[in-house]
Amino acid sequence: MQILYYIIIHKYDGILDPYRGRMTDVVYLDKMLMKTGLNKIFLLLALAAGVAFADPIPAEALTQGGLQMRDRQLRDIGLVMRGGRGGFIDIGYTYTPSSEQLQLKSQYGVHNGYAFRHHYGIFGSWVLDSISHFGFLTWFDRTGWDSQDFFFFPHYGKFAHISSALTWGFSYTNKKYDATVALGLQHQNLELASHRIYENESDSLLFYWAHARYKSLSFQGSFYRGTFQTLRFSLDLESRALYGGAGSGFKTYLPNLNATIYRRKSGDDDDNFVRLNWEQNLYEQVLYADVTFDFPDDGFRSAALKYYPDPSRMIGFEASCVRRHERAGASDLLWGGAIDILFIRLGYNSVFDYENMFHAKGTLIAEIKFQIGAADGKFFGHGAAKPAPMETTQNSIDLKKFMKSHAEQNMGTTTRDSEGRKVLHAKGIRYENEGAATTSSEGGN
Amino acid sequence: MSHLFIDTSTRLQVENKTDVTILGLDVVSDDGSSVSPWIRESIEPGEKSKVVEEDWVGTFRVRVRFDKWDKYEKMIAVSCVTDTRDVRVRGLKKQSEVGVTQRDAGSGCDGEGEQTYAELELDFEGGSQYLVVTQDDDGKAVFKFK
Repeated sequence: MQILYYIIIHKYDGILDPYRGRMTDVVYLDKMLMKTGLNKIFLLLALAAGVAFADPIPAEALTQGGLQMRDRQLRDIGLVMRGGRGGFIDIGYTYTPSSEQLQLKSQYGVHNGYAFRHHYGIFGSWVLDSISHFGFLTWFDRTGWDSQDFFFFPHYGKFAHISSALTWGFSYTNKKYDATVALGLQHQNLELASHRIYENESDSLLFYWAHARYKSLSFQGSFYRGTFQTLRFSLDLESRALYGGAGSGFKTYLPNLNATIYRRKSGDDDDNFVRLNWEQNLYEQVLYADVTFDFPDDGFRSAALKYYPDPSRMIGFEASCVRRHERAGASDLLWGGAIDILFIRLGYNSVFDYENMFHAKGTLIAEIKFQIGAADGKFFGHGAAKPAPMETTQNSIDLKKFMKSHAEQNMGTTTRDSEGRKVLHAKGIRYENEGAATTSSEGGN
Repeated sequence: MSHLFIDTSTRLQVENKTDVTILGLDVVSDDGSSVSPWIRESIEPGEKSKVVEEDWVGTFRVRVRFDKWDKYEKMIAVSCVTDTRDVRVRGLKKQSEVGVTQRDAGSGCDGEGEQTYAELELDFEGGSQYLVVTQDDDGKAVFKFK
């Protein structure tokens, strides 16, 4: 309601004062502080700050979004394949209430509108025999920018860029050898890109991908017509109780490493680079550090400190820092953070949002989401080390006993009418005690 | 959802209160290489243009082309410029008040003749917008939304 109010005020000002160039956000706040209570100020401040400091997203970032989507999906799948059985679901929808929050920067100027990211990831598996699990997985992202926000049917504005990536495939997990193989296809489709402001892109690209895991070692690759796009080698040394490992002790402090070779062209030459990720348990699998480096040239890429109140990772807090390679020096670093509370994720300048929302910065991005993994009757979040603690209570009611006692309570609720006749009120089903001298008025059809 | 309360296009009408003809209004890219026409008709002094709806909502660089500018010797008249960006900055006093630049394309510039235009950044909030072009005592062109 507050969000709507903010936008209405905004529009209203625009109508009343057509001479103004652009009303500053300070003026908004002054007006609103007078009209709203103190308890609402923080929310409004957050919203105003979200709009005031936001940088428009560059059109180039949208044309480069395809690789990012495909790579993120394969990374997600890699984490789910750590177990390779059970199920996993992840659905999310970014919500940015103002059309001035994630504007688009094109060669003509700055366009009002909405950057969006709608996605889901689903994995389900069947138990073939006691050790074999067969699974199917599908990951889908639809991202871009449009002049209106939407759920399913875009506005298709004249400056819109909408593209999607779908990854699907099959998996087989053998519990005895603790191994998983998965493979499938990856489609990248350009739904719409305005020729007026975006560079030409290839439409309808088809990639192959494969993933193989043996214990904590895994290998993943995606290919386009016989040439690799990404090759990833992962060493998940951290011991996880969720997958039958240790719940505490030094083994849980071993690092998770992965190195990815990305195919990149500069001109006609190969300019491949390697991104190295290092995730490190710092304290009892609730506090992690996650650092990324790029080789050979760029060096430090990003760092995040993540705190999960429970190792099941249903809830998470993170502080992060990403190097943008725009200018040299400290101003190159973008500091931010995010809060993830099961159904909603709020991020401000976080690494994830920077990378997955077209270099969005300086604005609060909300994602309405739901994500849960399940295996062996236990639940956990993405990349978790332990299942969520659960309390199972047998709470079923013995219906027969309940009805009997209920009926007994109702015995003797007879009344007399005005002529002194006995009237019996039927309430529900009644069990009659054998030999009991009761008169029943029910069951007469 | 947002379409319930947000305009995603601007319906623009231009009124010419100067004493020269306006030949048209375009949205131009930063480097001037791409031009997207908006108001294509010429607007005689004292006339109004037709209303033209386009998807421009935001802040854009707009070029208003004039037939001539009577007091152009008082303006920043630039002939044969390679970097038009400099011209704009020098001619731009306030957002709504810009100098009219004249480009003489006769001596090696890549135009087809003399072009007199004003370039400025304008905020389009969507919906109906009415742009009035006037000239002040100093001979500057003044652009105001009404």
